[in-house]
Amino acid sequence: MAAITLIEAVNMAIAHEMEADKEVVVFGEDVGINGGVFRATDGLQEKFGKERVIDTPLAEAMIAGVAIGMAAQGMKPVAEIQFMGFIFPAADHIISHCARMRNRTRGRLTLPMVIRAPFGGGIHAPENHSESTEAIFAHIPGLKVVMPSNPSRAYGLMLAAIRDPDPVIFLEPKRVYRIEKHEIEDNGEEYPIGMCFVDREGTDITLISWGAMLHETKQAAEKLAAEGISAEVIDVATVSPLDIDTILESVEKTGRVCIVQEAPKAGALGSEIAAEIAEKKIMSLLAPIGRVSGYDTVIPYYRLEKQFLPKVEHIIDEAKRIVEYR
Amino acid sequence: MNTAMKIFNLPDLGEGLPDAEIVRWLVAEGDIVTLDQPMVEMETAKAVVEVPSPFSGKITKLCGQAGDVIDVGAVLVEFDGDESISDDNSSDEKAPATKAVAEQPTSANSNQSSVESVSDIFNLPDLGEGLPDAEIVRWLVAEGDTLSLDQPMVEMETAKAVVEVPSPFAATVIKLHGQAGDVIDVGSSLVSFGSSSAAMVAPSVTPDEETKPAQKPADAATVVGAVQVGNKLVTESVNAVTKALARKLKVDLSLVTGTGKNGVVTQADIKQAKKDGKLIGSKTNQTKVATAPKANLNADENPLDFKASPAVRAHAHRLGVLLSSCNPSGKKDSITKEDVELAGKGSAPIAKAATSRSSLPSVQVSVEPQTVRGVRRAMAVGMANAHATIVPTTLVEDADITSWPKQDSLARYVRALVFASKIEPALNCWFDGERFERLVHPNVHVGIAIDSPDGLYVPVVHDADSKNAPQVRARVQELRQKIETKSLKQEDQQGATITLSNFGSIAGRYGTPVVSPPQVAILGTGRFRNELKLTDKGIENRKMLPLSLTFDHRACTGGEAARFLAAIIEDLQKAV
Repeated sequence: MAAITLIEAVNMAIAHEMEADKEVVVFGEDVGINGGVFRATDGLQEKFGKERVIDTPLAEAMIAGVAIGMAAQGMKPVAEIQFMGFIFPAADHIISHCARMRNRTRGRLTLPMVIRAPFGGGIHAPENHSESTEAIFAHIPGLKVVMPSNPSRAYGLMLAAIRDPDPVIFLEPKRVYRIEKHEIEDNGEEYPIGMCFVDREGTDITLISWGAMLHETKQAAEKLAAEGISAEVIDVATVSPLDIDTILESVEKTGRVCIVQEAPKAGALGSEIAAEIAEKKIMSLLAPIGRVSGYDTVIPYYRLEKQFLPKVEHIIDEAKRIVEYR
Repeated sequence: MNTAMKIFNLPDLGEGLPDAEIVRWLVAEGDIVTLDQPMVEMETAKAVVEVPSPFSGKITKLCGQAGDVIDVGAVLVEFDGDESISDDNSSDEKAPATKAVAEQPTSANSNQSSVESVSDIFNLPDLGEGLPDAEIVRWLVAEGDTLSLDQPMVEMETAKAVVEVPSPFAATVIKLHGQAGDVIDVGSSLVSFGSSSAAMVAPSVTPDEETKPAQKPADAATVVGAVQVGNKLVTESVNAVTKALARKLKVDLSLVTGTGKNGVVTQADIKQAKKDGKLIGSKTNQTKVATAPKANLNADENPLDFKASPAVRAHAHRLGVLLSSCNPSGKKDSITKEDVELAGKGSAPIAKAATSRSSLPSVQVSVEPQTVRGVRRAMAVGMANAHATIVPTTLVEDADITSWPKQDSLARYVRALVFASKIEPALNCWFDGERFERLVHPNVHVGIAIDSPDGLYVPVVHDADSKNAPQVRARVQELRQKIETKSLKQEDQQGATITLSNFGSIAGRYGTPVVSPPQVAILGTGRFRNELKLTDKGIENRKMLPLSLTFDHRACTGGEAARFLAAIIEDLQKAV
């Protein structure tokens, strides 16, 4: 079993599925000869050839459109948008067609396609490279939006995404691409899409997060435990469709909630989770729901990037405030 | 071609697309079809659409096969139409229609096929939303006019809107079928054209010869930014994944046997359990082990036991009303603001006893109330659960330990529990009061109540029956150390079959220790004392150890408990 990083797990899952299913093709900017700017597709072109691992021009709309066409004809494209900030030229294809094809054709055509994109800040990248805009796609019916937080989940969820009969937007937290390793057996075992993972059980407060922020959230939970506060940690993992039941069950147990997200606060996914909890479990709440978020500004250039991203101390402070609320 | 023959041309399938591809035929040549029976699935650039039959009749010819691209207006189906229900009599005009475009060999992406027909009939397409017909408002062209592609021909009014219908061809109008005010069925002839030609010819593209790949440079990795790199090896939380899958598949995890390493439940086990029907709710009489207590903890009440909105909770807090003193009158037993106010006025039994700080709002205190959490909270929950379920009975007696050499009494107590459990196993037992099952343990795992500033810990000396005194002492020492360093693990606190509470090391002669379910007994050892005793040798000073044995009378008889206590005394009174 190899000890591998999140980005290597993405690569391993794609390679596994390309081996198993000849309909799987990979394309995007620099994915072939270069192997991807983060090495996600490293070695795939050498292994599977130029017909299945294709370098495209810098044209995201075309990448998404081609993926839709291929998927409609039964292929299983795994398209890369080099950074999530560049996905917007492709948004018309994704939102107006990709998400709607099953409904449009009354179920005759589904699109078994994956659009991968690294998201989030923390790597000193230039402008338009650091946003967390998952809420935009989570808002669109017909799209599944998956955001793995660790190598095992990247592997298992990527397999599930490729095998899924419907389009999956697969958002990779690039800040934690190489931050830790998991021992993963390349056995093709997928993880369930559409489910939260309860990473730590606790009784005093529920911390909800996804993607890279899960790392800070887990550290906060550990420090809170040392102070006698027992935090439950939930990795949302699939932000759409949202597994709200797991979250509600936890809220019923703890009565206190803090949502941790990297995205700006307004109109983000945390707002939706908070609203669901308020709608369905307000009688169990012992304190107002708390959110730790990025700021409602454009994510700054990298010198101020750290000031923008939520930190472990922010989560601890907010969690304590909520636990001590009377 | 006989005169009764009818021809159905491909109508515009919506939004003015020029052609459509046959996905599959739903009928065959020779079939008798009824009006509106689906004949074929056609795929346009926008959608897959079923095309219904405009007539009742016998199909004589299907023009084209799956994969063929048919231009709008070209012949799709020929009928032997003598059973026509359709009210239009236009078959005469249609008769001369030529064999169509669809006949020509189709190359995959030909939407450039030109329509060479002498005459084409344009049938009224669905103008949107599947309405069956439309009324002619006014013609915008006249017979004999030469039209360009997409030139508006007529205004039609459906039940929903007035729509301009554009010309599908560049061609000359031969006949307009109907006049203002006429209602035309969808699929019926609207306009007959003379010679037409396809409007657009797509430029064909010949694929370039394959471009040569650039030589791959030695370092092709153009990684943007600085990704933090770590070498820490982290373990995936397998439980989190299997639990998520079980929830997704609605599998009852308590019914799943793990086949993984060390009996770990794998994803495959969950999928198998799904096949075996081990679903949530499939087992009747589901028992929940150690759930949150329903008991009233008074001042230490668990707020999660009560349903109330945050506003109601705040109101109760302001008025100093305990939620447990409110009579819920809201939806699903929730407490309303009125319930709180009622309780505040004393109509409901408010906890007036001076013990409750929150029921005495008039008392001025300078300290903030503390939240009870962690170990202390676990104790509160556990004790309430015990109190709510156990039927406790306590026996008290003294053991004469005068003959003891100086030694650690705790190891002796453990030994006595092991000895007594062999003589009377009914007290070294787990009991499930919901399923009425008891589990008589072959081994003795002694839970030891240990007091700490954080609260009550009950770590376990496992397999006490196979440990000697030094081993027991060593284990207890280890557990104390772990409590001090807060490194006590879950497994250190699990699996006790009987409990010992040595409160006498502080103070207290007899007590009523609380049995912790599913265990059925707990032994309390009080502070020993010297007592003048009348013996065979006269009046002697003896060292007496007070014992208090609480047992769950649901699980044990009084006789069993008394025999157990007698055995304890017998062992304790041995010199060594």
